[in-house]
Amino acid sequence: MRVAVHAPFGIRKLCIPKEAKSPLEWAGTNSKEVSSMFSTKDLSRRGFLNMGAMAGAGALLSGTGLIRPASAASPLAPIAAEDALIAFGHTGPTSDEGWTWAHDQGMKAVEAAFPGIKTTFVESIPYSADATRIFRQFVSEGANMVFATSSYGDFLYDVAKRAPDVAFYECDGRAPLDNLGNYYVQHWYPSYVAGIAAGAMSASGKLGYIGSFPVPSVYSGTNAFLMGARTVNPEATLQTIIINSWFDPQAATQAGTALLDNGCDVLFGIMDEAGYLQVAQERGAKAVMWNTDLRRYGPDAYITSVMVDFKAFYVEQVRRRLEGTWTPTADLLPLSGGVDRDAWGATVPAEVAAKADMARTKMLTEGWNPFVGEIKDSKGNVKVAAGQAMTEQELYHWNWSVEGVFGLDS
Amino acid sequence: MDVLAGLIQTAFLAGGVLALAALGEVLAERVGVVNLGVEGLIALGAMTGIAVVSVAPVPWLGFSAALLVGLVAGMVFALATVVVRANQVLAGLALTYIGLGLAATLGKPFSGSPAAATFAKVDIPILSDLPFWGRALFSHNILVYIIFLALPVLVHYVMFYTRHGLNMRAVGENPAAADAAGISVMKMRFWYTSLGASLAAGAGGYLTLAFVPSWSEGVVSGRGWIAVALVIFAGFRPINVVLAALLFGFITALGFVGQARNWPVAASVLAMLPYLGTIALMILPVLAWQKMRRIMAAPEGLTQPYFRDDR
Repeated sequence: MRVAVHAPFGIRKLCIPKEAKSPLEWAGTNSKEVSSMFSTKDLSRRGFLNMGAMAGAGALLSGTGLIRPASAASPLAPIAAEDALIAFGHTGPTSDEGWTWAHDQGMKAVEAAFPGIKTTFVESIPYSADATRIFRQFVSEGANMVFATSSYGDFLYDVAKRAPDVAFYECDGRAPLDNLGNYYVQHWYPSYVAGIAAGAMSASGKLGYIGSFPVPSVYSGTNAFLMGARTVNPEATLQTIIINSWFDPQAATQAGTALLDNGCDVLFGIMDEAGYLQVAQERGAKAVMWNTDLRRYGPDAYITSVMVDFKAFYVEQVRRRLEGTWTPTADLLPLSGGVDRDAWGATVPAEVAAKADMARTKMLTEGWNPFVGEIKDSKGNVKVAAGQAMTEQELYHWNWSVEGVFGLDS
Repeated sequence: MDVLAGLIQTAFLAGGVLALAALGEVLAERVGVVNLGVEGLIALGAMTGIAVVSVAPVPWLGFSAALLVGLVAGMVFALATVVVRANQVLAGLALTYIGLGLAATLGKPFSGSPAAATFAKVDIPILSDLPFWGRALFSHNILVYIIFLALPVLVHYVMFYTRHGLNMRAVGENPAAADAAGISVMKMRFWYTSLGASLAAGAGGYLTLAFVPSWSEGVVSGRGWIAVALVIFAGFRPINVVLAALLFGFITALGFVGQARNWPVAASVLAMLPYLGTIALMILPVLAWQKMRRIMAAPEGLTQPYFRDDR
């Protein structure tokens, strides 16, 4: 929609991998030592438009044993800290106060944890052959470990394949190698928790959502949010607006205004900025955010945020790399282990916060999964049978809306 | 009704960026210089506005600083295109990327915090409290009134009802004739190009001080290019261009309202609406009325550097 001259913003995430190398190659069976982390394969928040087919195929085959387990490669050789160079390739600017900023914090944590280590990063890498060039440059500069904080598909895969001594990680990656792993977050749990608070704080029972593209992250985010809200307000509904961008404050502001004008009084979304929070603040509504603590943009409107935190993950992976124990993993960082709700906003009543936190505690202590049937889709078909719990893989690849979510399934 | 009032209100608010930038572009193009640096100028102005109010929390100061930065950038651009007579398209594209890059680099310390001061809504007694029109028309910040009322009328008057405006248009239509009539082509082009750039950067100041009160790299998201396109769409006329920006803002907002109200139209189609509407409005009048083609035509001398010896 936008005239994408500033390519990193206009088109950076609207990318369809030409050839999904091996969505089926990855068994996700090597989620060995990190017991609470779940393995994953293809898509994620920065997911792709063609996820439906791939996710379907992946789900079908994963149970049948047709998938080749990731080869058990021997770990890469250890490196002395002073020889180590850890590189980060970002999709946006580190100043975005959102997704890329959170990853940049992870890099800073790595620097603090391993004094003497060298780090380097490149921002706003477009999804194009430029990405290959930049990742190749990391390798030729002597990087020992490269984190791509968004999916670059083949552009990264080709580089990783030719540099077997370098460890690669791809956020939302789908084509693993002996030296290429991937990672993402289970954001549906904090979204559910935030949904409980939102449902309790919404007078109209109409929630609004500002989404980027109809990708699994948006489906799982909207569904989890509404399912949480419906535990306190069974009549609640959620209206979604898609703005075709992860970062467009002008569009998000307009979309937020449109939602509030149509009776919504709590907004949620998946944006790398705070546009709709500022609208909510101005209009006396409430908002739940993504990525980071953004309450300074709207102290009265702020309920909480789906906070991502990659610090511990990055430090752990770099440690393994330095020690010489690193082999690729496929991690879905769990609640309180990479993703969580933020501290509640100033205007969230104590009893509402307590109620939402009860669910969170239950998830943390009992491993409670609220995504249990019977769950119907927006057309009324039963998609998850009564008593059946959705698996992490199903949640990760969610590509249909639950009853009460409008605007995604058309 | 409430929804419609909200629609019109958002149309003004969002259209303001486009209107001011496009108004600046009209000034430049009317004297024969196409400035494709609008996107970069908006970014520069947006960053400047936030940076200045973070030091001195007075919105007018931030907005004036944005205008000033735009004027300086415009003078550099005019130096290249009017004095040195470099290719306007290339110089404009360069200005866009320089502007975006400079704003991103210099703006780093200011990203991630809300604007320290913004233009507040002006409460007009009685009018602001009207049931429908109050919200649609009379609950805006002062800049909206300046951009949509004062400026276009002023520019229109100067351009079409004064001797100076006649000279200005002559420079854009036929610089050789204007030169022969004793008008300084270079002076006219230099200052109006700079002034136009100043307004474009002002649009950036409006963006971060009145519309989306925070700065981050990429906040402009291509609106500068839309502004350039609107100038052509509006036939290089100041009042038309502001109306076109308003219409564009309205159709964009309509797309979002359509989604919010769950109209049975795909979101991607609604997102196309402003562009479909623009194309339709450009084609249909010309089809219906051949004379439109001439009325809406670009100044004859547009993009042509003027050399006195070179007739």
